[in-house]
Amino acid sequence: MTAAQFAIGGRVPSAVHAPASVDALQTLLRECDRRERAVVFFGGGTHQGIGGVPARYDDAIVLTNLSRTIVEDARDLTIAAEGGCTIGALSAALAEHGQFVPFDVPLAHLATVGGTLAAGWLGPRRAAYGRPRDFTLGTHVVLADGTLAHAGGMVVKNSTGYDLSKLYVGSLGTLAAIVRANFRTVPLPRARRIAIAALPERSRSRACANVAALSREPSAALVFRGFTGEVDGDEGSEGRAFLLFEGSEAFVEQAVREVRSALGSAGVPATRLIDREVPAVFARALDAYASAIASRSATLRSYGLPSDSHVRVDACERVAADCELACETIEDLRTGDVVARVSAATEAAFAERVLAFDGARRTALGSARFVDAPAAVRGALDVWGAPPETLAATRAIKARFDPNGTLAPGRFVAGV
Amino acid sequence: MIASGAAVARLRRDLIAAVGSECVRTTPEELAAYGFDAYTDVHAPVAAVLPHDAAAVSAIVRVARAHGVPIVARGAGTGLCGAAVPLEGGIVISFARMNRIRAIDARNRRARVEPGVANAALSAAAARYGLFFGPDPSSQTIATLGGNAATNAGGAHAFAYGSMNANVLGLTFVDVDGEACTVRADDAGYDLIGVLVGSEGTLAIVTELELRLLRVPRAVRVGVAAFADIERASEAVSEIVGDAIAATALEIMDRTVVRAVEAHYAAGFPVDAGAVLLIEVAGEPEDVADAERALTRIVAKHGALSYRSATSAREREGLWASRKGAAGALGRIAPNYYIQDATVPRTRLPRAIADVERIAARHAIPIGNVVHAGDGNLHPLLLFDRRDARQVAAVAAAGDAILDACIALGGTISGEHGIGYEKRETLSRVFDRNDLATMLRVRDVFDPARRFNPGKIFPSACDEVTAPTPTETGALA
Repeated sequence: MTAAQFAIGGRVPSAVHAPASVDALQTLLRECDRRERAVVFFGGGTHQGIGGVPARYDDAIVLTNLSRTIVEDARDLTIAAEGGCTIGALSAALAEHGQFVPFDVPLAHLATVGGTLAAGWLGPRRAAYGRPRDFTLGTHVVLADGTLAHAGGMVVKNSTGYDLSKLYVGSLGTLAAIVRANFRTVPLPRARRIAIAALPERSRSRACANVAALSREPSAALVFRGFTGEVDGDEGSEGRAFLLFEGSEAFVEQAVREVRSALGSAGVPATRLIDREVPAVFARALDAYASAIASRSATLRSYGLPSDSHVRVDACERVAADCELACETIEDLRTGDVVARVSAATEAAFAERVLAFDGARRTALGSARFVDAPAAVRGALDVWGAPPETLAATRAIKARFDPNGTLAPGRFVAGV
Repeated sequence: MIASGAAVARLRRDLIAAVGSECVRTTPEELAAYGFDAYTDVHAPVAAVLPHDAAAVSAIVRVARAHGVPIVARGAGTGLCGAAVPLEGGIVISFARMNRIRAIDARNRRARVEPGVANAALSAAAARYGLFFGPDPSSQTIATLGGNAATNAGGAHAFAYGSMNANVLGLTFVDVDGEACTVRADDAGYDLIGVLVGSEGTLAIVTELELRLLRVPRAVRVGVAAFADIERASEAVSEIVGDAIAATALEIMDRTVVRAVEAHYAAGFPVDAGAVLLIEVAGEPEDVADAERALTRIVAKHGALSYRSATSAREREGLWASRKGAAGALGRIAPNYYIQDATVPRTRLPRAIADVERIAARHAIPIGNVVHAGDGNLHPLLLFDRRDARQVAAVAAAGDAILDACIALGGTISGEHGIGYEKRETLSRVFDRNDLATMLRVRDVFDPARRFNPGKIFPSACDEVTAPTPTETGALA
């Protein structure tokens, strides 16, 4: 492992550590905290595009040695996983018992449990199943001063003290290292099918409205515009619907019939069904969320209401066009998320235009966040967008948990 | 704590100046109504205030700060752990008047409500849009959504739809300085919703909630399976839960409870069974039909003595009404009951129930058991007569022993009622010193002076907790 592999936004740590145990991590953190060395935790590195460039960065701490999973009794539908366990490994362990947790994370073979939780990753199936935080029953964390602390437990219903696991999820490693998480799991659906359909511009809004009104709802309902290299199917240069149906055989069969009819009545010419290797096809679609084009693209993510996701897609496209950037989008019809990848033909042109894009997007997409950007421009972008009303509380919590600013200083919202 | 009559008079005068006399209650008769909840302790506040809006809540908090007195937020007072009792006097803010549903956004399936809205009232209002609210504590016709959020309430359907924490999408709260702030689930920044929900009024006072609504399923079926004992019913539950069946609630009642319920409601439960499993499946018509076929097979495999499905909506509602009224029905057996709340990993339910029965026998206290079995959430009902000091002491000892038994089985001391005053000393059996100190870091951020609901959640020893020291325990030890 070289230090350069762990650079963030061009900032390179002076040392890289891979503690072999939680004890070793505690000792290491205690020492870093005492010596005022700033650390950034690493899992698979797949979410490191999120957040700002660290204000200080001395040590990268890689947690992938903590990679075990424990299933005490599969019938409990719970699993414990160490923070460095990959989502892929966790999913494989669960699949042996016919179970899963819908993390919906890109690059699942690399992304780790701790990293996925710390990044606050939100995937498309959360509308159907819940967010990763809702599946997290408990956590073991190591705080900046080396303290090992536990939150929650191993039961699926818990109202015992503050649920601090929720605080660590989405904190981007600025409060603690997540060394273990306990999850609720769900049985794998008996049947899965993906429906893909080209959406001509004239049919788009009606088709999306019809999808939103389906009585048998898809677990994921995405509209891709662009991403032709990443997502299966070459249908539709103007956009294509990507709908995942999961449930009983009878449900999926009826759902597919219903969606074909709904899309057909919106003027969509054909709906193609995928019923083989559905998980792999879905995983490739998720990978699109994290796919960059060399050093000449950046990805912006906007959360909001499903009813106005199309407005935000249009805003992304308009602002990108004004800045002479190409724009590809993923619109999530169930959650309201919009992901926009903007790019240019050359690195030099991109660097200049993306800064203009960042300035211009603030009116229409003020709270959107950059989740990936090339190192050369990242430090100059307003990666977090407009700060939340709760910024003062966020700052105060950071100060109370990490008074020396040891953990990823400056990575979080508004430079926290 | 306010000692002098002059200080009390000044506090009341300032409250009246801030929000108007018609919002402020000060006579002993009036205050008696705000000094208790569904737990045993009673302690009247020195003033109770019934604000009409969030601005008044801020004004009340500022008065409290100026006078250095505590504030306890109160919903309907259905809490079972004493969380709404103003142990140190001070001010109770009742949300009885802040009970408006501000908006229902059917397209985006969410609602904005004031904290005093009763849980069931939201589902009733959302029904016209084909929507409902998921968490459904048994007290839902009275219990408020603000109170539900404070305790992270769940109910029978938390199994399928999650407890409050999974269903709150936004909160507006007033902090200890009286400042209002709104947090939404998608905001950047730490997940304050996750911490505020379940904090039992110790961090902030919530003045508005944004809640997730769900589509009313097109088909629902409720069935009743009778078993010889809870063990067999629990085994059936484990298989149903693991089998991708569209079950939305799995509730067990033991013979004692079934007999009391049946005598009261005559809903048609089999009274000779050792345990009855109430199963709800919901979804699309084809799912429900599929699920019921699977259920019939599974309960038979685990030795069900009978299985019967409700044939009409009315019968279904009757079964649910009687299940949710189970605790009250036990009044036929004893004048008082104490309901315990604990959770264990689902497969350990039979052992937990066996422990409960052994503990009850040891203390010579009759019990009934209702169990949110899909979640491993036990509610043993300890039956007693509060006029008998021996029984009161025995119930307290048995309740405590039940918590120890559940902790020993890998469980915890509350699934949905919270900690409040009742279980504050027990919390240190679940969490070590470092864990509690970490929680207190959060409390220090929100309320360093401990003005919001003092004396709740944290063990009294926590007042002396200082900076935590690292421990040597491994991650998967």
